[in-house]
Amino acid sequence: MPRASILLLALLAGCAFGRQDVNEPILAADLRAFAPGKTSAAEVVAKLGAPTEVVQLGRRSAYRYDATRTKSTVLFLGIVNFANQDARQDRVWLFFDDKDVLLHYGATLSTQRTQYALPWEDVHEAEDHAARDAARAESGR
Amino acid sequence: MSRAVRSLGAALLLAALPACVTGSYDRVHLQEPVREADLAGLVPGVAALGDCLQRLGAPWRVLEYDVDQDGNSGAALLWTWRDAAGWGVKAEYGDDTVSGSLSYDAVAAEQPACVLWFDHRLVLQRWRFGTAGDLLPRRQRPAPFADAAEPAR
Repeated sequence: MPRASILLLALLAGCAFGRQDVNEPILAADLRAFAPGKTSAAEVVAKLGAPTEVVQLGRRSAYRYDATRTKSTVLFLGIVNFANQDARQDRVWLFFDDKDVLLHYGATLSTQRTQYALPWEDVHEAEDHAARDAARAESGR
Repeated sequence: MSRAVRSLGAALLLAALPACVTGSYDRVHLQEPVREADLAGLVPGVAALGDCLQRLGAPWRVLEYDVDQDGNSGAALLWTWRDAAGWGVKAEYGDDTVSGSLSYDAVAAEQPACVLWFDHRLVLQRWRFGTAGDLLPRRQRPAPFADAAEPAR
């Protein structure tokens, strides 16, 4: 019986990797073209396309653009599984005044930091982030 | 019942078990965390929205806040993230006519968050750490649709 169970568990063991991308990554170069006090909402939409969300803030408004990358790792061991999911976004919020002129924008570009890992592994160290950020900047994406 | 038959039965049961009851140890990393140190230097009453966006990056969500009768509004900006691990159990049953599942996910129970509130001039009023469920409005009603031919009720 123990031999059969061990053999069965060995046959059931396996692993899986999955990657899911939602929307195109946001380009830093596109954002650098936007000038608060000058750029209009129409110019932003012409450059980035339709926003994911528009929020009314009284007479003002805010547009959200985002792209999400998710990397999943699963280790199957029969009736017990070990799974890790890592998701990071490129995300930009642009705030417009009552005349649809850009007031401020804030950006987080971190899809490149997403990693495959098992749940007991520590990822997202500062040095690793810096290397991945530099590689992205170098690639122009 | 012979020992070989019992062993085979146990092995088959073990093989079928993953389809109905599974345990899992899950870890989830979602988004970049905001730490109290990141907020150092952002003084309420002084820091502008642009300063906060430059320091913290883009929030997860932006919400309308403190709208007055003239249509002026402040804003509440929410950052949320998660780096948590925990055990979960999932039980499933299904045949041609009935199916069902039950799961418990300890990881998803609470999600840390930080909210910054801005006044009508978009100057920082205050900030607070907590869980997303505590910091966000409990319930949001849809805005009434106003038709030009039929005044909103």
